[in-house]
Amino acid sequence: MMGDLESYLAVGAVLFVLGAIGFFTRRNLIVMVLSAEMMLHGVSLTLVTFGRLHASLEGQAFTIFILTVAACEAGLALALVLALYQRSKSLDVEFWTELREPDLPPPMLVDDAGQMPMVTPPARFPRLTPAGRVPENLDTGDRELVDDAASQTADVPTEPPQPKEVIKSVSH
Amino acid sequence: MDWISQHRLEIFALALIAGGVWWLMPRPARLPKFVGLLMAICGAGLLAGRLHAAAGPKAQSLLFFAFAAAAILSTILMITNRNPVYSALWFAMATLSVCGLFLMQYAPFLAAATVIVYAGAIVVTFVFVIMLAQQSGATIYDQRPRQPLLAIVFAILLLAALLSTLQTSSAVDFQFANRHLAAVAVEPNSLSRPPADQYGTMLALGRSLFGDYLFAVELGGTLLLVATIGAIAIAPRRRGGSL
Repeated sequence: MMGDLESYLAVGAVLFVLGAIGFFTRRNLIVMVLSAEMMLHGVSLTLVTFGRLHASLEGQAFTIFILTVAACEAGLALALVLALYQRSKSLDVEFWTELREPDLPPPMLVDDAGQMPMVTPPARFPRLTPAGRVPENLDTGDRELVDDAASQTADVPTEPPQPKEVIKSVSH
Repeated sequence: MDWISQHRLEIFALALIAGGVWWLMPRPARLPKFVGLLMAICGAGLLAGRLHAAAGPKAQSLLFFAFAAAAILSTILMITNRNPVYSALWFAMATLSVCGLFLMQYAPFLAAATVIVYAGAIVVTFVFVIMLAQQSGATIYDQRPRQPLLAIVFAILLLAALLSTLQTSSAVDFQFANRHLAAVAVEPNSLSRPPADQYGTMLALGRSLFGDYLFAVELGGTLLLVATIGAIAIAPRRRGGSL
């Protein structure tokens, strides 16, 4: 039979399960952290309901501690997300599937990995600003390279860049 | 088999919810959203109706259903939206709905604290991080979930197990648990058990927090301090010292 309390417990269970679905399926690191917070909401609701069932405030006190831990978790998780973003220039969690024990099988990747290009960080090769005269006797391959370099740096101002102000570091 | 034939409607409702979530999952080909929404709403309504049919008339509270439906639908939209900014906003909406449920459970302080901490601080931080990290709009990894079918099937199985346990548990079990607690000779955490007229007031909650859980409160404060230092230490910074 379902009474008043059980409907709250059911809502808590539904929230927890939906958060779990989000955590398992989404690949965006931020949405994964949000889904984990949603699972915490479900657990909080369950705890408050059980506290009311036993006519004690332990559930509410516990939920306040969950709130504290969730705030810490969010701060740390977002700092980690930023640090990971600095390395991969992407929020995709699949960049970090290599972080596993060497004897474990590779994780299950996206279903349609065959038809979509596997995500790789964009290759950024350094380009030199063309300087001086273009030599006369170039074959076609070299000519294409020169033209490509010229088109890449077409919007770069031609005057030499001014030396930037040296920012004095405040480290001791 | 007997059990399955008895609970056909509940299973059908759970399947409807699963199908709705599956339909709403981000994918490159745009399917009309309202079909999935309709499936999820029908499933949730059917489930609520079935579970509610067994409940007493005293549980008929319009507010409860409004808050519960808002929380569940916002969560579904949060985990299926392909734009993380909208996900964060739907998360704030779900948080507000959960706070409504807290209020109805005699937890006003908890509701206020949750609104301030979650909807006020955490969501804003999330939006700031999205702003810092993902400026280029829609990305490919937001449009291809990983293993959505497996995850949804197993999660809905877990939900079915939880709900069927809830449904078969009776009030007698709960009363037995209460009597068992009452029979324990040394009443644990006596400050956390206020008289009935003080349940849920700030006075009772403060007594519980700063009486029974004083050391835990101090530990929580220390944890916050340590987490702050850790977050500042982890956060990447450029040469000049800015983020």
